[in-house]
Amino acid sequence: MKTSVPRLKAERRELANGLVVLLSENHALPAVSVNAVVKAGERFVPDELAGLGSLAGELLDEGTEARSSQEIAEAVEATGGELASSGGYATTQLSATLLAGDLALGLELVADMLRRPSFPEDRVALEVSRRLAEIRARQDEPRLLASDAFNEIVFAGTPQRRPLAGYAETVPRVTRADLAAHHRRFFVPNNTLLAIAGDFDAATVGVEVEQLFGGWARDPAFRAPAVPAPRMQTAPATRLIRKEKEQVNIFLGHLGIARTDPDYHAVRLLDVILGDSPGLTSRIPRVLRDEQGLAYAVYCHAARGAGLDPGRFAAYIGTSPGNQARAVAGLREQIGLIAAAAPTQDEVRGARDYLTGSFVFEFETNAQIAQFLVSAETYGLGFDYPQRFVAEVGRLTPGDVLRAARRHISPDRLTLVVVGPV
Amino acid sequence: MFDITEGVERTRLANGLTVLTRERHDRPIVTSIIWYRVGSRNEEAGQTGKSHFLEHMLFKGTDRYGKGEIDLITLERGGANNAFTDTDFTAYYFNFAADRWPVALEIEASRMAHNQFAPEEFASEKEVVEEELRIGLDGPWDALDQAVWAAAFQQHPYHHPVIGWLEDLERATREEMEAYYRRWYHPRNATLVIAGDFDTRDALARVGELFGPIPAGPAPRPVASREPGQSGERRLILKRPTEMERLQVAYRAPEVGHPDSPPLQVLATLLGTGKTSRLYRRLEERDQSVTHHSVDYQDRIDPTLFVIRAEVKPGCAVGEVERAVAEEIDRLRQGPVADEELRRAKQLIKARFVLGHEQVADQAIALGMYETIHRYEHLAGLFARIDGVGADEVRRAAAAYLVEDHCTVGQLTHA
Repeated sequence: MKTSVPRLKAERRELANGLVVLLSENHALPAVSVNAVVKAGERFVPDELAGLGSLAGELLDEGTEARSSQEIAEAVEATGGELASSGGYATTQLSATLLAGDLALGLELVADMLRRPSFPEDRVALEVSRRLAEIRARQDEPRLLASDAFNEIVFAGTPQRRPLAGYAETVPRVTRADLAAHHRRFFVPNNTLLAIAGDFDAATVGVEVEQLFGGWARDPAFRAPAVPAPRMQTAPATRLIRKEKEQVNIFLGHLGIARTDPDYHAVRLLDVILGDSPGLTSRIPRVLRDEQGLAYAVYCHAARGAGLDPGRFAAYIGTSPGNQARAVAGLREQIGLIAAAAPTQDEVRGARDYLTGSFVFEFETNAQIAQFLVSAETYGLGFDYPQRFVAEVGRLTPGDVLRAARRHISPDRLTLVVVGPV
Repeated sequence: MFDITEGVERTRLANGLTVLTRERHDRPIVTSIIWYRVGSRNEEAGQTGKSHFLEHMLFKGTDRYGKGEIDLITLERGGANNAFTDTDFTAYYFNFAADRWPVALEIEASRMAHNQFAPEEFASEKEVVEEELRIGLDGPWDALDQAVWAAAFQQHPYHHPVIGWLEDLERATREEMEAYYRRWYHPRNATLVIAGDFDTRDALARVGELFGPIPAGPAPRPVASREPGQSGERRLILKRPTEMERLQVAYRAPEVGHPDSPPLQVLATLLGTGKTSRLYRRLEERDQSVTHHSVDYQDRIDPTLFVIRAEVKPGCAVGEVERAVAEEIDRLRQGPVADEELRRAKQLIKARFVLGHEQVADQAIALGMYETIHRYEHLAGLFARIDGVGADEVRRAAAAYLVEDHCTVGQLTHA
């Protein structure tokens, strides 16, 4: 069966100030997506101010030197478009999805929010109070609690161990001055990408981008700070957290891989075979859900969270308390098996066909295409990556998967976290 | 402007199967999705949750496909499949690249007439469905939502949750499940939607070959139950160990296609969508009493609910939030909305519809859902109906529907 590889036309420009602009025209619908990405987030925030990076991201649309929060919202919502700003671990993103005719307005707003956010005192106070409430609300979500506790162990010694939201102790410390300093230091054109995908004319938009962003001064002194790299834990660990709930929420795993790891494609394939595939085809959902009826939600993956830094290799299951021992034993068994013996030819063929055949679905929407442009730039993939992905994944063998499993999965160093009536 | 119904063709087979096709060659993708007009609305007391449980059983094997084979075929062809159940329908979809999609038709034809119900598969899947239900019980919203719908509907089956009551699920039998399947899964009770990069003539020929021989099936039994009018507010309190109190306010609201439905959609938007919305400005900015709120009014076959939800900040009282919501509703009943606010709400509805239907699968879902609960042509007039809503109509809809006597209020409070 031939493989449908996405036909992606894209171009890359770099303004004199270092801003990288990525454009891809797609005229299927009269719509467009803009994604501005600053390569900074919680990763660069010290422990005592945990939450500063994500607050800075969320506050970008809460006021600029020229516009109030309501003026920004009114401008976007009058078009019916959607605007979202968020601060993540490695990046801070402003994204807008708009009808095609509203792109110029969208770009003007994005430029204003990126370059001149004012972090008004009252909006900072409001966001901090909302954030504190959200941190409390996490206590009502046992799966999130389990995930947080797992990260605490797996990413020990790095800012990655913290929830993006920060902590109840650190969030109130964040001041307007901290936010402004974070912005001054990291939000510079030579640390920013701007991706636009959809129904527009690249020549026209190129001129608009130059007008809006060309005057943004480069910071010649900018250097990304060093961040401690997470280390693979050397021994197994267990943490049980008691909550009165119907289910136990279980995470089992350890440190994962970075996006730039040479084994990335082999680990994607391993994921499809072990625990991350459509329906119940992969081993862990097939055995624990389809055969044993232990859970509705059960999965396992190592490549999904791969970024600049390693993500996590994590199996998850939510099950009744009476099934806990069987569920943990089942996960351990499957993790042990994948690291001990090569998968079958049929498994590898199925997983390869899935990854290469479904790649086309990652390029359906403008937002997806804009996101791909950002990844291509961030990880040096190149715009021909869809073709290369299909070719490279298509060559992987059972031996490649076993080698990757042995290198990246350690059944004797698993961290177990259980939240529920334990 | 984008018209999702443009070029859609409806074909009806002799056995009653409705087929909608939307051929477009802009992306090499085909979605096929089959809709059965059966959901929790069709379930009797003591038998709740069957429609959803049945959806799970349709992945457990047919006469042609062994257990797991449907998923395996999907995997090997690089596709995606899933299914969903709601009050009014159950739907199954496949997304495939355009060069390999017709296998979806073969699978659906086999599932429609020849699903297998092996006793051991039924028993094991019952455990899975019960675990799915427990996820909901452990979350903060499902219990409150279920209690509010159960109080608002006392006779009509919107009373019970789509996933069913745990006690009903526990006592469900394989025989009842198979009988339910035989009653509802027929060409006459189904709509097949095919959207994307395919040839309509070829596809219809294949549909005829595969589905044509399946008997039409019995006439679907209508849902006779009608919920009587509500005369007086209903209130309920759920106590839970929780960090945050939560509020749900639900008003009785009309069914899909009702002339009062468009002004209520506009009301839902200007109350709840975006940072310019009234509840955002009131609850999140002025009072600073909630972390999130939402307003939800979804088209359904029968009269339904207009639902407002809010998560209350620690230190704020759920009763205060309820009073603030009531004041905002009262303002809408008393005076007309400004032109600019009305224009913005209409633009939000229209633009979000366009932006929300970029994917071929989303287009197929919209067409199939409306064909199942009403008729797909309803979507062609959506923008015109929204544009036609005047400020006075909005005020009258608020005065007629968002009233205390037709309201059910649920509060989730600390145990």
